[in-house]
Amino acid sequence: MKVVEVLKKFFLVDLLKGMLVTFRHQAPSQLVTEQYPLERPVLSDRFRGQPRLLKDAEGKPLCTACGACALACPEKLIKVGSLRDPETKKKVLTEFDYDLSRCMFCGLCEEACPTHSLDLSPDYEIALYTREGMQLDRSHLEDGTPRKVYER
Amino acid sequence: MIKSFLGYLHSNVTPGEAGNLIWVTIYVLLVFAGISVGVIFMNWFERKVMARMQVRLGPMRVGPYGLLQPIADALKLIIKEDLMPENADKLVFWFAPVCVVMTAFCTFIVVPFGRTHAITDMNIGILFMLGVSSLGVLGVIMAGWASNSAYPLMGSLRSGAQMVSYEVAMGMTVVSAVMMTSLKGVGTLSMIGIVQAQMQQHTWFAFSFFPVGLTALGVFTIAMVAETNRAPFDLPEAESELVAGFLTEYSGFRWSLFFLAEYASMMAVSSIATTLWLGGWLRPFPNLLGGKNWDLAFSLVPGLTFLTLAAFCFISFTKLPRIRAMHGDAIGLAGFGSLLALVGLVLLSPGMRVRIQDIYWFTLKVAFFMYIYVWCRTTFPRYRFDQLMKIGWKVLLPISLGVVILTALIGVRQELFALVWR
Repeated sequence: MKVVEVLKKFFLVDLLKGMLVTFRHQAPSQLVTEQYPLERPVLSDRFRGQPRLLKDAEGKPLCTACGACALACPEKLIKVGSLRDPETKKKVLTEFDYDLSRCMFCGLCEEACPTHSLDLSPDYEIALYTREGMQLDRSHLEDGTPRKVYER
Repeated sequence: MIKSFLGYLHSNVTPGEAGNLIWVTIYVLLVFAGISVGVIFMNWFERKVMARMQVRLGPMRVGPYGLLQPIADALKLIIKEDLMPENADKLVFWFAPVCVVMTAFCTFIVVPFGRTHAITDMNIGILFMLGVSSLGVLGVIMAGWASNSAYPLMGSLRSGAQMVSYEVAMGMTVVSAVMMTSLKGVGTLSMIGIVQAQMQQHTWFAFSFFPVGLTALGVFTIAMVAETNRAPFDLPEAESELVAGFLTEYSGFRWSLFFLAEYASMMAVSSIATTLWLGGWLRPFPNLLGGKNWDLAFSLVPGLTFLTLAAFCFISFTKLPRIRAMHGDAIGLAGFGSLLALVGLVLLSPGMRVRIQDIYWFTLKVAFFMYIYVWCRTTFPRYRFDQLMKIGWKVLLPISLGVVILTALIGVRQELFALVWR
């Protein structure tokens, strides 16, 4: 056993093993770097990003203003405003405020929604320079946050 | 004068031997430019290879595939403020990088890139190279002393101890290679003579006296990594302990001179190893695969290599994303590819391919050592100082002494056999 160890030491076996490892890692298939603006990450279907209020096929809001999302939210950042329609005696959504600056994207609101109208979409490019733009109101949530488009 | 200028082209000696001053100047400039370009390329190559070994991409943004990164770096270093500490020894501080660069480049006077492609051939070539390259330690010590600061002083002291101790093992292995030249014929210290001896003995010295030559090469490789202060022996610049060692107080252009010298001396010691053990400028199997056809086949290799590189450029050109921001890169890459293709075509022309072939094989062998430098740097963690000294004195020195003794014994035995059988 000892002779083997001495021989191993003399022929630098352990060092050569290490060199083999680094050599193998050069293969292009091993690369993990993602060149972000050129290559986009492949997101899972359950990715939770920018919140959206979905509409049905006729363009009417799916939201029934039940307020389950506001109750489910651990941060209490959702505010649902509603009015009762005097004719149909149904609740109609008037405002929906979502404070993205406090959101931790836990997705509990999405799970609580009975009509699947609140959706955390896979849109992840929502970084902003100030907190002002993070107070999303109903129009933002329904039509998407207007984004400033830069010219090259 | 024009006659002597053109007449040299038909001779087959180095310009130094021919005593042709014009060609000596041209060769000096060519070697200087070549080494500088080599250093620039090496900078890119090292970062790229290191990145790939660490599963990263490396420089990608400056030029196509980061090809212009070293130029951007150099530009930044030149523009940077050149600081000199207030209490520094001004003259020595100024002279240290100059000294390091001078010694690193002076060694290339005797490096034979081919039979005719050396500035000159000295009968003490290898001795000259070892002597001049070990003067570099003076520059490092001057830098450490003149900085008048604790870290640089510690770094330069370490560097001095390290370079001196590894020089011994290095010298011993060189002695064994020189002894091998005397086997069939006259022993020589001339760099060109050593390569010619390998040609004559039909073997690279790495493979003569089987385990002995290879051991010598191994010891030399380890010693040369330590000698040039590269990882895993980069204790003088150990940033976790000494900030940047003797480089701490240097910035801007002076720092880049140190950088230049480091890579130049890496190439210098690699070319010593190539010349002594890997047959210098000789193409693979010059005797076994001799004859006209093989000569032609091997002389086509340099041109074809450049054409392959050009092909790679064009393939990556087609793979570049088609967006406006990448148009400059695409044009640059296509231009670079066509430049490489042009060089390849020039190298394929009959007049060129015979003369340039030697340089190609020599550069290829040196590049192999440079790759090993980078490979070791990515793989191994830095040694402790006592481990470094232990390896130098207790391991490498005895092995190299054994190599010298074994070379002598085997050589004498073979000579005696030859005498008896004659």
